[in-house]
Amino acid sequence: MTKLPTAGTLRPARTETHTLDPVEVTVQDRDRTRPFLLLHGGGGVATMAGFADLLAERTHSRVLLPTHPGFSGTPKAEELTNVVELAKAYVALLEELDLTDVTVVGNSFGGWLAAEIALLESPRVSGAVIVDGVGIEVEGHAPTDVRGLSLAEIQSYSWHDPSKAPVAPAGGAGPSPDIAALIGYTGPVMADPTLAKRLGGLDLPVHVIWGESDGIVTPDYGRAFAAAIPLSKFTLLPRTGHLPQVETPEELLGALLDLGGEGERA
Amino acid sequence: MSASLTVTRIGHACQLIEIGGIRVLTDPWFTQTATYYQGEPVASTVESLGRVDALVVTHEHYDHCDLDALVAGGFDLGTPLIGPGTVAAIARDKGFRDVRVVEAWEAATVGDLTVTATPGEHGVHEVTFVIQAGGRTVFFGGDSLRVPELDTIPERFGPVDLAILPTNGLCIRPMDLRQVVMDAEEAAGLTAALKPTLAVPHHYAFHSGRLGDRMITKGDQDPRHYADAVARLAPEIDVRLVLPGTVVTVP
Repeated sequence: MTKLPTAGTLRPARTETHTLDPVEVTVQDRDRTRPFLLLHGGGGVATMAGFADLLAERTHSRVLLPTHPGFSGTPKAEELTNVVELAKAYVALLEELDLTDVTVVGNSFGGWLAAEIALLESPRVSGAVIVDGVGIEVEGHAPTDVRGLSLAEIQSYSWHDPSKAPVAPAGGAGPSPDIAALIGYTGPVMADPTLAKRLGGLDLPVHVIWGESDGIVTPDYGRAFAAAIPLSKFTLLPRTGHLPQVETPEELLGALLDLGGEGERA
Repeated sequence: MSASLTVTRIGHACQLIEIGGIRVLTDPWFTQTATYYQGEPVASTVESLGRVDALVVTHEHYDHCDLDALVAGGFDLGTPLIGPGTVAAIARDKGFRDVRVVEAWEAATVGDLTVTATPGEHGVHEVTFVIQAGGRTVFFGGDSLRVPELDTIPERFGPVDLAILPTNGLCIRPMDLRQVVMDAEEAAGLTAALKPTLAVPHHYAFHSGRLGDRMITKGDQDPRHYADAVARLAPEIDVRLVLPGTVVTVP
């Protein structure tokens, strides 16, 4: 017998007394907003921050955007040795925050992470969106290995229109994948040969969204990602590369909200 | 003189119907999963239900047949459970000891209570119920589609005091939007045929989560569509839109 959580207990109504000296107010607080957990890829949190604003403003939702430990010079616990361990940490975060009906959205490495979070079967996570994700092995469609490539080369694979890539601040190298931080989770192969098979047992809805011009992981790789998941939808974004949330954020938002033919009723 | 009749929606299609002193619980659902949400408060825990004289279950879907929650909550497994064969097999497996199988137009009795299965149609085998005691008659529609034979209930059973009907017209997206539950207009048509003293809609607040509402289910979450349709088709019938936990007394 599976023991499921009693209805309403995952996100209980809270009663708190606030002191607004000299006034005291007792407030019942019920929160049924549908939060998003946004997961950045190898380019770091900067590649997701603008889209986090867009998503929060347009859907009036709560949007959580963590920096994966180890990125941007943040500390990383020794226990965080692989993608599954990081996924467990994020489910623990959702527990800590008492969130339910969470949609996990991840780009590139963040898409792999979103898949691993979905596979943990937390009752708090109701669906996942994988945007140009990596992590599965698809015969004949190996991801482009960006190690050793120049920034210009990486950009030519990553963008439909490389002229849209953010300009590096004076003296900086500009946004580029943090390979060391990535490998700390993925290992040098940057894929899990068991992931596609494990996704075959997933019973959550997953929306797979792909940039038509993605040269890091091709649309056929994306179709294979969607095909590995029983309850999935595949959406191809035109004039878009590997980072839709940066290159065509309005189109990505539209794809998220148009699914099912109904507008977001926030 | 007929017995008192009240109904209290616990949540979704789970209702506590009280006829005189007889307490009947319908389609139990007390837990939640990542893609099944009541979308409204659940008015009672299993532990605080109090005595239940009979449990009636229309079909085996999780949101109507959460027997695991009853078992985990210490529900008395000697309580008579009335349902179709598909439910009976599951109930016996969960440890229910007094399981009565009823298919369409078959009846079971528990003391002065008579529960007759009536036809139903859904994604899986389903029955609906006519529940009678103390001169009172209740129709419980589970989450069935509208089935033409249900219109004959007043001829077969006499006047209906209370009709409880689903109204969300639920469609299953991966099945090419196949409709599996009657919608507000169809429920109003059935209401007009049943001519109950009072009608209460249910099975509309439910949702499948943010992405699930876009990829798994599509349903009408506004019960006013039913109330409006009944007002148009059968204005003499009283409709009550009821929040969970509200005790409704049927005159």
